[in-house]
Amino acid sequence: MSQPDRSKLPIRRQPFRGVANRTLDGSRPDWDALGHTDAPDGAPNVLVVLIDDAGFGNAGTFGGPIETPNYTKIAEGGVRYNRFHVTALCSPTRAALLTGRNSHAVGFGSVGEFSTGFAGYTAFVPDDCVPVPRILRDNGYSTAAFGKWHLTPDGQQGPAGPFDRWPVGWGFEYFYGFLGGGASQWDPCLAENQKIIGTPEAFYDREDPYYLPDAMADKTIEWLHALRAADAKKPFFAYFSTGCSHAPHHVSAEWAAKYKGKFDQGWDKLREETFARQQALGVIPADAELTPRDDAFAAWDDVPEKLKTYYARQMEVYAGFSENADHNVGRVIDAIDELGELDNTLVLWIWGDNGASMEGTITGSFNELTMQNGIPLTDEMQLQLAERYGGIEAWGNEMMDPHYSAAWAWAGNTPFKWGKQVGSHLGGTRNPLVVHWPERITENGALRTHFTHVIDVAPTILDVAGIPMPTHIDGIEQQPMHGVTFADSLTDADAPERHTQQYFETIGNRSMYKDGWWLSMKTARIPWVLTPEAIKPYAPGVWDPDDDPTELYYLPDDFTQAKDLAAAHPEKVKELKELFWAEAEKYNVLPLLAPLAAFFGMVPPLPDVAKYEFRGDVENVLSGMIPRIYNHSYTISAELVIPPGGAEGVIVAEADHLGGFSLFVDNGKLTHTYSMMGVFVFRQQAEEPLPEGEVTVRMEFAADAAKPATGGEVTLFVNDRPVADGRMDHTVPIRFSGYAGMDIGRDNGGVVDLSYADRKPFTFTGTIKKVIFDVNPHASADEEHELHTAAHHGHAAHALSA
Amino acid sequence: MKLHDTIDVLIGGYLSKEAAEEDYNAVLDCGAHLYGAVVVSKALDGELSVEQTDHMVREGAEGLGAIGFAVGLFAPPLLAATAVGAAMGAGAGKLLHHKASQKLGEQAGATIPLGGAGLIVAYSHADAPTVEPVVTRAVQRSVGEAEGSHVQALKGAIADAQQKMAETASAG
Repeated sequence: MSQPDRSKLPIRRQPFRGVANRTLDGSRPDWDALGHTDAPDGAPNVLVVLIDDAGFGNAGTFGGPIETPNYTKIAEGGVRYNRFHVTALCSPTRAALLTGRNSHAVGFGSVGEFSTGFAGYTAFVPDDCVPVPRILRDNGYSTAAFGKWHLTPDGQQGPAGPFDRWPVGWGFEYFYGFLGGGASQWDPCLAENQKIIGTPEAFYDREDPYYLPDAMADKTIEWLHALRAADAKKPFFAYFSTGCSHAPHHVSAEWAAKYKGKFDQGWDKLREETFARQQALGVIPADAELTPRDDAFAAWDDVPEKLKTYYARQMEVYAGFSENADHNVGRVIDAIDELGELDNTLVLWIWGDNGASMEGTITGSFNELTMQNGIPLTDEMQLQLAERYGGIEAWGNEMMDPHYSAAWAWAGNTPFKWGKQVGSHLGGTRNPLVVHWPERITENGALRTHFTHVIDVAPTILDVAGIPMPTHIDGIEQQPMHGVTFADSLTDADAPERHTQQYFETIGNRSMYKDGWWLSMKTARIPWVLTPEAIKPYAPGVWDPDDDPTELYYLPDDFTQAKDLAAAHPEKVKELKELFWAEAEKYNVLPLLAPLAAFFGMVPPLPDVAKYEFRGDVENVLSGMIPRIYNHSYTISAELVIPPGGAEGVIVAEADHLGGFSLFVDNGKLTHTYSMMGVFVFRQQAEEPLPEGEVTVRMEFAADAAKPATGGEVTLFVNDRPVADGRMDHTVPIRFSGYAGMDIGRDNGGVVDLSYADRKPFTFTGTIKKVIFDVNPHASADEEHELHTAAHHGHAAHALSA
Repeated sequence: MKLHDTIDVLIGGYLSKEAAEEDYNAVLDCGAHLYGAVVVSKALDGELSVEQTDHMVREGAEGLGAIGFAVGLFAPPLLAATAVGAAMGAGAGKLLHHKASQKLGEQAGATIPLGGAGLIVAYSHADAPTVEPVVTRAVQRSVGEAEGSHVQALKGAIADAQQKMAETASAG
């Protein structure tokens, strides 16, 4: 069979080459017509592994304190790149990785939850930038993605789609994972292909509980086995994107226990130790300098003695969590090896998508969403809340959604400054890459120092597969990929460095790289600080980006950005500044700080839906899609049928005990529990049991005022008669959960009220005809507008830390 | 016992039972003579637990805890700052509902939120340098002071501490 024209996708079918007479007499079949498009001869399997929220100095393979034996094994059988770059934020790196294009140019200047009306920040890929899995699929690859996605807009993660923004729409034939930016590893609300499947049943198995990293590896291996059972030769493209090491840091006690006492020396000393190991390993130059600690991070010596155990525990869990990820990636690689296909599998394993995350703020948190909801807890408060939910030994289990201190993240980004969200410095933009392909790479364990970027991965895959970048897909002319192949550097240390110029921009922190020079332009805002005072200087007409301080580095002589040359080379500063503006315009980076637009009055039109009806069998409504009940009065009513003898169970529940609400019946009594992020928990319960027969129940929240986090009075009604009341002094202003869903008739996954935890999911034993949310019972037009604005502030805040 | 005392009362608020009990045990072990100490915690399921060393009860007064928990002991200004540009903390320091009652359980139950805990310690003003440093874990604390006959001084000190606590919370 001749090679098809791969320049336009889908590939057109070949003309019929047999003979079709009036009868079989003299007719000759064309057996090629039955086939499908084959990948080019010799095209390798491809496994892309992306670890989340990790830094250059985390993995032991690159000198970090975390044991990563599988990463090291692959590195020793392949090559490791020590000048590989990412975008400093989750979704943008993923979009760049899968499209081969700069993130802003494909609508991902920010995270998937946050769509705004500027081309660089829509959170959906334009049709003329079709992603690489689709290109591979149409060229004869089987494609699948496992784990974290984070490329579907927040409000489009339900049965209505649109599914071109889901993994299947990007070209993955199979998907098993979660659509958001983070997920519980114990009770995630999962998607499979085009359906939200919720929390796996195995979560309820206390003997052998569900654990997402294990399940991801299981599913990947299962998919590989099924693929080979169906087709012995078809190459695969598998994208294995771990939820680890993003918060919540969930791992069993056994994994964390391996690191008991390993971080008692604190983050300052850890950086020094990591730096020494990096130099000994040769993954950084011998003359590299360890950059100093910024004043934004406390010195370990200044941490109160009584809290050092609390802080050290945070890193122990993170380390165990990360090592577990290495273990499960190793299982997948072993499975490929067991199939006899590892030699011709190109493994690209990137340890981190944006540097380690500083979003745990200085204190770290028992519940990562406390930060996003603007609850300023001291470290002592955080510790006490951790004690409330099991103590620091439980840090990592399903009772908490922990995130470590920003200072541990900074240590994880050794030897660089800063971390996630800081696109101006290497702490947020440089991560380890290891490439393994025994059939081609023979210089085992070698180091590559080529300047490479995540947008180079897709062109490299196409290059080694022998697949051209198509000019048209579905009839639409395609923009060329912005990345360049580094395939020749896999086998040749002296291959030319092709990626010579690159802009970086994340939430205003930006840089311009060209021919070894790196201009850093960081805003003064500390990445984890989103107070009004911190945002105010960036208002339209106030902020002039050209007034931001500049730092200039020459990376060939200064691996870590330790020597600022800006004062000595003003002409280079000027040149790179101008180049940045040109690149920013070219790739839709403008306007800078578009993700903050909501803070300055630029909000989308008001939604016109104020009532939401849910029938009794609706479940797993993702947290970004629940009715907008935050910050104002609302009612939840339900039409029930109570059987003779009474009923119990959940009528409606959102999320869990770390933030959420549940309207339920216990001992026959209507009960409402509201968890303000696990910090405050409010409960109201009727004195009398529900009557039998058809019953209408209602929960009314009368807010003190339409304002963020408003307090208010709760009244429960049965058949319009008040049966209980109580006050909630504080409510959740932004979001209950980053991952947990809302259910009618049950409380899937972790439960809101722990009193029924032993009966979870506490399915309602009567009948629920429907549940109705009225989110606009009394609001004036002005209040609605203010609330809408506040909601988008919250949306932006969540997006800035997802 | 002297006819006139200068008495201090320390009240503290906590987010966990463990932290409150740690401070309670620390004051019991600090070596100072305490007129009374009581720690009350409220589990997430609403169950109250109380420990106390309350000499006032023996002295025929209402009891330290019964007075102390009558008004807003626990109102930490947790929402003092905001991430999203609004005055989220405006209501954070409000006193919780006042529910007059003679029973410690009822009063504490009404004022301590689910999952929280409170501590009240009464001691001679002269012992303040011994007592106060060992109370290290309260997320909010205040110390009141009053002079007078023993019971008068206790009540006055509690009222003073409560007022200071309320002012702190409101300021938050």
